[in-house]
Amino acid sequence: MTGPPKTRRDNVAVDDSLCRRCQTNAPTITVRTEPLCSPCFNKYVSTKIIKRMESFRVRHAEAGHERVLLLPLSLRVCSIVLLHILSQHLRTQGEKSGRTGYRLHVLYVEDGKGEASVASELFELAKQRYPEHTYSTRPLSDALALPGMQEVLRPHQATTQASTTTTSSSSDLSTILAKLTSATSRTDLHQLLLRKLVVHCAQSHTCEAILWADSTTRLAERTLAETAKGRAFTLPSLTTDGEAPLGVLLYYPMRDLLRKEILSYTSLVSPDLEGLILEEKPRPAVSTRDTSIDELMKQYFSSVEREYPSIVANVVRTTGKLLVERVGEGVEGRCELCDVVLRGHAPERSRLCFGCIRILQGLEAGG
Amino acid sequence: MPPHPCESCHTSRAQILRPSTGIRLCAPCFTLAFETETAATITSSSLFHPGERIAIGASGGKDSTVLASVLQTLNTRYSWGLELVLLSIDEGIAGYRDHSLEAVKRNAEVLGLPLKILGYEELYGWSMDAVVAQVGRKGNCTYCGVFRRQALDRGAAVLGVRHVVTGHNADDVAETVVMNLLRGDLARLGRGTSLVTGTGGTGGEGGFASVKRSKPLMWAYGKEIVMYAHHKRLDYFSTECIYSPEAFRGSARTLIKNLERIRPESILDVVRSGIDMARLVPGAGGEGGSGSQRVEAIPRDAEDDTGGGCSGGNGEDAGGEMARVEETLRLNERAEEEGTETEIRLPAKAVNGQRHDRDGLHTGPPAAALPATVNGQNHDRHTHTPDIAVVPIRTKQEKKSGRKTAGDKLLPRQRLGQCERCGYLSSQAVCKACMLLEGLNKARPRTGIEVRGAGG
Repeated sequence: MTGPPKTRRDNVAVDDSLCRRCQTNAPTITVRTEPLCSPCFNKYVSTKIIKRMESFRVRHAEAGHERVLLLPLSLRVCSIVLLHILSQHLRTQGEKSGRTGYRLHVLYVEDGKGEASVASELFELAKQRYPEHTYSTRPLSDALALPGMQEVLRPHQATTQASTTTTSSSSDLSTILAKLTSATSRTDLHQLLLRKLVVHCAQSHTCEAILWADSTTRLAERTLAETAKGRAFTLPSLTTDGEAPLGVLLYYPMRDLLRKEILSYTSLVSPDLEGLILEEKPRPAVSTRDTSIDELMKQYFSSVEREYPSIVANVVRTTGKLLVERVGEGVEGRCELCDVVLRGHAPERSRLCFGCIRILQGLEAGG
Repeated sequence: MPPHPCESCHTSRAQILRPSTGIRLCAPCFTLAFETETAATITSSSLFHPGERIAIGASGGKDSTVLASVLQTLNTRYSWGLELVLLSIDEGIAGYRDHSLEAVKRNAEVLGLPLKILGYEELYGWSMDAVVAQVGRKGNCTYCGVFRRQALDRGAAVLGVRHVVTGHNADDVAETVVMNLLRGDLARLGRGTSLVTGTGGTGGEGGFASVKRSKPLMWAYGKEIVMYAHHKRLDYFSTECIYSPEAFRGSARTLIKNLERIRPESILDVVRSGIDMARLVPGAGGEGGSGSQRVEAIPRDAEDDTGGGCSGGNGEDAGGEMARVEETLRLNERAEEEGTETEIRLPAKAVNGQRHDRDGLHTGPPAAALPATVNGQNHDRHTHTPDIAVVPIRTKQEKKSGRKTAGDKLLPRQRLGQCERCGYLSSQAVCKACMLLEGLNKARPRTGIEVRGAGG
């Protein structure tokens, strides 16, 4: 029989001691019960991502006017792997047709969590390894300077006061975050500001779309977490490829890969990617009152991912089937903090949605 | 708790810190607030009409006991003129129902309300203990759920009542939302957060199964229900069914409990999220609707109505159900992937033919309750026999448009009809209960005289 059997219907007995796909090499990893060898696993991961980049193929681009796509690099596993695979993809595109379908702008947001020096080193390493892209960094506190932020987060401080311009905005950020008593509110606000800033950067660099590195696992966590925060209505628009709820197209090319699969990938690449990755702080094993909702869901899905990976994927698939709320542009008011459309999701005459009201409840209480 | 004045009357000492609002209240102010909020849920959705006959599904547990007490109180206070009656179902599980039934009887006396107790044995000829003796512990919860759902409706019919209320609280609804997300059950996600289901129409439309069902305590925290029962010195008996717990609901329950610890308001947030998501379920017809007011005669099956101490569902052992769903999903994924590796197109006719099969495949065997609903249509599409060599692959264009425009087509509509045997509302020719009974009766060893009750 010529070549490896491509489908089960070819009625060839499958040798379980060999890689399921190529039936030639010895397997090095088991992916959702299929044993695969390293090259096939490599291909598995890349294919899943590249499949999602359909709209950015070379044939869809004009020479010299390639679309610029923003890749927010958190320096964690998923974003590093995405950077690596897309760099490979661009290289392949260049080799095959002499030009590329898109260009990448890589953005790192310094979130002031005290890992700044390690992070900037890693960022430099990434720049050296993939010099073909453009890179920039912004501090998260820049988000506070975005229109409307000061009014929302510090309503009792008059905007004409000189102090708002002279104090450094990074201390502003830490002050605000410190005032929130619940871990959930802190994480939530952090994520919102991050997203706002990334969208703003995408617009200022005229990027056509943002490529988020969220894995299946992360999207499942987000589904449950946002549901628990009363923001489930935002899920379809914020997790479906090709939607632009905030003014810029959003894509999630890694949505078909589990976090553990992405993690395995890093060691199978050579030179390996582990040296580029910003380590996560060790997480507590049990949730306490101080855990944030996002953290709770992370813990939950990391255990589900181990035993029941398809269930994790199914959660994301189910959310993907929900319809995106279509609203008339400009007619409806938007939440001042998270930009979702307010109608039906906020109390009467409020400028904030229910979810954001919860965050700021902590702020006004003054700790 | 250090002495604080009640934040409502400012006179008495506060004894309670409300989980839902964080406000400190004395006991009378708390019970009043609880009652008033329940009244608001009822009046804002015009749940009852004056003089209506209402059957309260009374299990003897805390939720239904509080429900009965509160409804009685409100009925008097606001002169709604409702005729309240307690309806209790005896599954025939020795040692389980006995105590709770006693509690229901005591409540009926204290509240001065009429009580009707209906047993599975009387209705179907099979108590749950007999069912388990026959079928073992796998799938026994399915029987119980199906039987209970019909039992409440049949009981309502016997009493001449068109509206049944149950004590489902916010915790229950939140659990259901999380559970349906985990299971990927879009259809139930669209229904589980409704305040009301069913039309309460007359016998013509699907017989006694179009009884209206509502959950007035939907927005009440489980914790506050316990507090209310305590301060009003209500008599209840809560038990967990001795037959197995359901894996997904158990997992969802743990998650909800942990969520509550982190942020008590998150329970209501989950419910609110569930209501929002229900509107976004394709084909739900609720786009732009006012949330939870859909009153279509939606046929539901057993799993929609668990409660009264039952963790509900399919009765597999804890790991079993999740493992089974995992297996099914994985096979689907594998089939889909292998389908894309060979690009073969079927002629147009066959594609339509396949769609037909998909609808037809929904009349599956009754015992296999779960697989038919996991993933909705996807499952059926990939149940291929060895003869069907390929699966038609939709191109990216079709897939995209399929999702966005043909929204209603994604969930096959269930056609409403009546069961041939007992007249119950059903989307099949023979309703689930009759099918289950047929299976049971066939296998039953002959043991003397059987007294069969009413119904198929």
